[in-house]
Amino acid sequence: MQTKIVSKNFEIPHANTMEVALQNGRYSSLGKLFSHTPQEVIDIIKASNLRGKGGGGAPAGAKWQLASDYEGKKYLVVNADESEPGTFKDRQIISKDPHLLIEGIISTCYAIGSNTSYVYVRGEYEEFSDILQASIDEAYAKNFLGQSAKYPVEITVHRGAGAYICGEKSALLESLEGNRGHPRLKPSSPEPEFYFGEPTLVNNVETIASVPFIIENGAEAYTAYGTDCSSGTLLFAISGHVEKPGVYEAEFGVSMWEYIEKLGGGVKGGKKLKAVIPGGASTPILPAHLVMEAKLDYENLKSLGSALGTGGMIVLDEDASMVKVLKNLLRFYHHESCGQCTPCREGTSWVDKTLDKFIAKTATKKDLEVLKLVSKSMNGQTICVFAPAASGVIDGFLKHFEAEFLECIK
Amino acid sequence: MSFSFNDENSLKIEHLAKRYPHKKALLLPLLWLAQKQEGFISDEAMTRISEISQMPFMHIYSVATFYTMFKLQKKSKRVVEVCRTLSCELSGSEAIKKHLLENHSDTYEIVEVECMGACGGAPMCTLEGKYIENVTPQMLDEVLNAN
Amino acid sequence: MKIIVDNVPIECKEGERLIDVMLNNGVEIPHFCYQQDLGMDGNCRMCMVEIKGAKRPQIACNTFVCEGLEASTKSKSINAVNRSILELELLNHPVDCPICDQAGECKLQDYYMSYGLYDSHLTTPKTKKGKHIELGSGVVLDQERCVLCTRCVRFTSNITKTGELGIIGRGDSSRVAVACGHELNNPYALNVVELCPVGALTSKDFRFKQRVWFLDSAKSICHGCSRGCNIFIDYNETKYTKESIYRFRSRRNKQINKSFLCDFGRLSYKELNEKVISTPLPMEILKDLFKSEKKVAMVSPSMSLQQLQSVQIFCKNHEIELFSLPYIDESFGDDWLKTNDKSTNFAGVKELNISVNQDDFENSLENANLIINFDHTLLKEREIKDKKVIHFTTTNIKIPSEAVFAIANFAHESGTLINCDGIRQEFYTTKYKNEVPTLRELLKRRP
Repeated sequence: MQTKIVSKNFEIPHANTMEVALQNGRYSSLGKLFSHTPQEVIDIIKASNLRGKGGGGAPAGAKWQLASDYEGKKYLVVNADESEPGTFKDRQIISKDPHLLIEGIISTCYAIGSNTSYVYVRGEYEEFSDILQASIDEAYAKNFLGQSAKYPVEITVHRGAGAYICGEKSALLESLEGNRGHPRLKPSSPEPEFYFGEPTLVNNVETIASVPFIIENGAEAYTAYGTDCSSGTLLFAISGHVEKPGVYEAEFGVSMWEYIEKLGGGVKGGKKLKAVIPGGASTPILPAHLVMEAKLDYENLKSLGSALGTGGMIVLDEDASMVKVLKNLLRFYHHESCGQCTPCREGTSWVDKTLDKFIAKTATKKDLEVLKLVSKSMNGQTICVFAPAASGVIDGFLKHFEAEFLECIK
Repeated sequence: MSFSFNDENSLKIEHLAKRYPHKKALLLPLLWLAQKQEGFISDEAMTRISEISQMPFMHIYSVATFYTMFKLQKKSKRVVEVCRTLSCELSGSEAIKKHLLENHSDTYEIVEVECMGACGGAPMCTLEGKYIENVTPQMLDEVLNAN
Repeated sequence: MKIIVDNVPIECKEGERLIDVMLNNGVEIPHFCYQQDLGMDGNCRMCMVEIKGAKRPQIACNTFVCEGLEASTKSKSINAVNRSILELELLNHPVDCPICDQAGECKLQDYYMSYGLYDSHLTTPKTKKGKHIELGSGVVLDQERCVLCTRCVRFTSNITKTGELGIIGRGDSSRVAVACGHELNNPYALNVVELCPVGALTSKDFRFKQRVWFLDSAKSICHGCSRGCNIFIDYNETKYTKESIYRFRSRRNKQINKSFLCDFGRLSYKELNEKVISTPLPMEILKDLFKSEKKVAMVSPSMSLQQLQSVQIFCKNHEIELFSLPYIDESFGDDWLKTNDKSTNFAGVKELNISVNQDDFENSLENANLIINFDHTLLKEREIKDKKVIHFTTTNIKIPSEAVFAIANFAHESGTLINCDGIRQEFYTTKYKNEVPTLRELLKRRP
């Protein structure tokens, strides 16, 4: 059931070292890369239907084009601020096959015409970013990077310092500029991001790591996997109440339940499934009956009222208390809200505190109204999608599991 | 009392400065280096960082308080973090926390943190920043008593 | 170009901010973080409007007008949005209006009356933050009243570039602060009090002195230097004392001071409350004095054109040589509002061709027996031996003099001033009649 494109070398010992990486095909796509013009590379990526793998699923080619269309200094920023609960895939690439990421960075920089790249790694991943740094040093020594390379690229690893919101691309750039990680206001028409005023492409680690395969094998080799709209594969992750939590790469469009059973080893202890949070904490919960029909692709999960997100599934067994689960998630949102705009700053804390009353079983009908009211106030009225995501999470729980909340009302 | 970066770090800073288009972008790297050097980020260190990055002191302070990993107070004990977010909670992080508080809080500072991106290895802890995954009370006893 | 706001066509320029168009045309649009002279930040989410064709409500401060744009601020659905945001702004607010100095000019109060009027949904404890924090320069912070609009922070980082204020912490524990061991300390610090739309920042100088609804305002010009910053004089006639001036506030003038004042100018209102003691001579003696003596006069370059003209006519009629010297203080000016020339109307003095030659003045002074000083600071401090000095003054004179005639200060007279950039501006008197006569009244009466 696994399809290993990005994770091909994960099991190979010492694949993070240059020697082993070269023996296993790393940097072999560069020959093909340089036989194309940058625009041809962008066209290949467009044709491959590669979508951003950080959670949004936006077409990568279109984003590359936006950055490429600008003249002059440009940046590529790789988003390795993996902080979405239930998501732990990028760290696999960084620690197990960092040369794949470096190869992808070289290709992407070449395509958009950038010579400078930053990899923003979440602060907690210190040991993994050290591995990445060591591989980058090797790549400089081998002249894959630096001014003597065929195409000069500089890569700098930049460590975050503990802020979920910096995974939001504009907040990430603010942080990279030396500011608090406050998301920026969104432009009204499509444009690239900007780092110190210069056009910048921000892509997730896995997105960039998918590029070498596409360059080497062509767009069609990639679209051969997955569904019509969701091409290729994703490093799906699975955790929670399962026998074999972990990261397993699979084609888009596979059955969620089959994935849980076959790759995740089924629900832990042979218990019954209650629900799955399908793609990181920010995606609305799916009760068991919907999990059975769910397919792991963007369109299908959207049609079920949820989202694919990062593909990090959290499995909940029959004994899970939905009140406790929602409280856990909202405590997270409360803790991680940047505090910049009002609905999010006040709303996340209000819901978190109100949920305490449900946990203590001292809630009233009014408290249930508060959950619904605040969820509404947090949706569609903020600078970034953090609060709307929290709002979607609350709505999902109340839609499918309101009865459990009513039981907590005294 | 004044603060200055040691020779090794000064060299790193010199090298880093060339990698960013503006001095301001050095802020997070500088805060990390200061924390590495002293174990926490003192006012004096922030004053020095303010000089190097050419930003007002308040900006440094404001940024430092935004990120949870920057410590502005000197620690008296070594830190064990316990992740409390969903996958870890589902896998028993509450019991782990209880065990740590009951048995190791004299030697270690026990801190709850949000998702560390190790949900596949839940429940998880860190010891001085180093990940320990799939932890059990027995395993923690061994690791913490040995260190 | 025209856009439609609440079904009314409004003339505007392509690319203007919708909120500016609204504010300039008197459309009521609730907002905290936007301030015309600080610019846009977009954090408060209070200025949400409905735009025809847009999926979601948009913030007016980040919407740029284009031909055919139709916006609504009054529909039921948008008012529900405004109310939901307002409820969140007010959620952890202590609602301590009875003891809050901002009451009466607080945006939270105003908007609650316009968009709120709901029963609180709060069933959990409020977030506690710091109270009565002295930031420096006489500014006091109450973090619980703060809506985190960051106007004050943006003022110190973008306008004065002194950067003393910042947000610390994050999420709902974010708060405005100065760093430990540092303080708010710049010559424009008190602007943050005026910029604060709520009761979070108050001025030690003004707080608890007077409820703002008792105050009247007169449109005036600051007399602190030659910049001519536009101000409101806020004053009140209390029960047992005569009228008192409580503060200066900036009066927006895009060309001159925008929405700002320097602290020196802002606090210069205090001089206006001084009760000046007259020690006039009997009329007969005064007449004799005027007939027999060699006379020279000095007039303050901070007087209005109208006052200067009366003085000029008076001096001409009595054959008195008239001078005016500017108040130069090289240590005062900066590269923003403050100018080294602390006289308010030196350009007016020059326009009226009043002699400004210091050497000529010193010569005339040498030869004169009688010196008439029309409120010039220099002569109020300079003791001149063996000469008789008559003062017409707005402040008390501490040196020996022949006669002192108290005259009304600029709060009690209207007039015209020309500022350092040649801009001619009017200022207006407060409503209450001062017991002290104006200079012009006095000159009509006297000898």
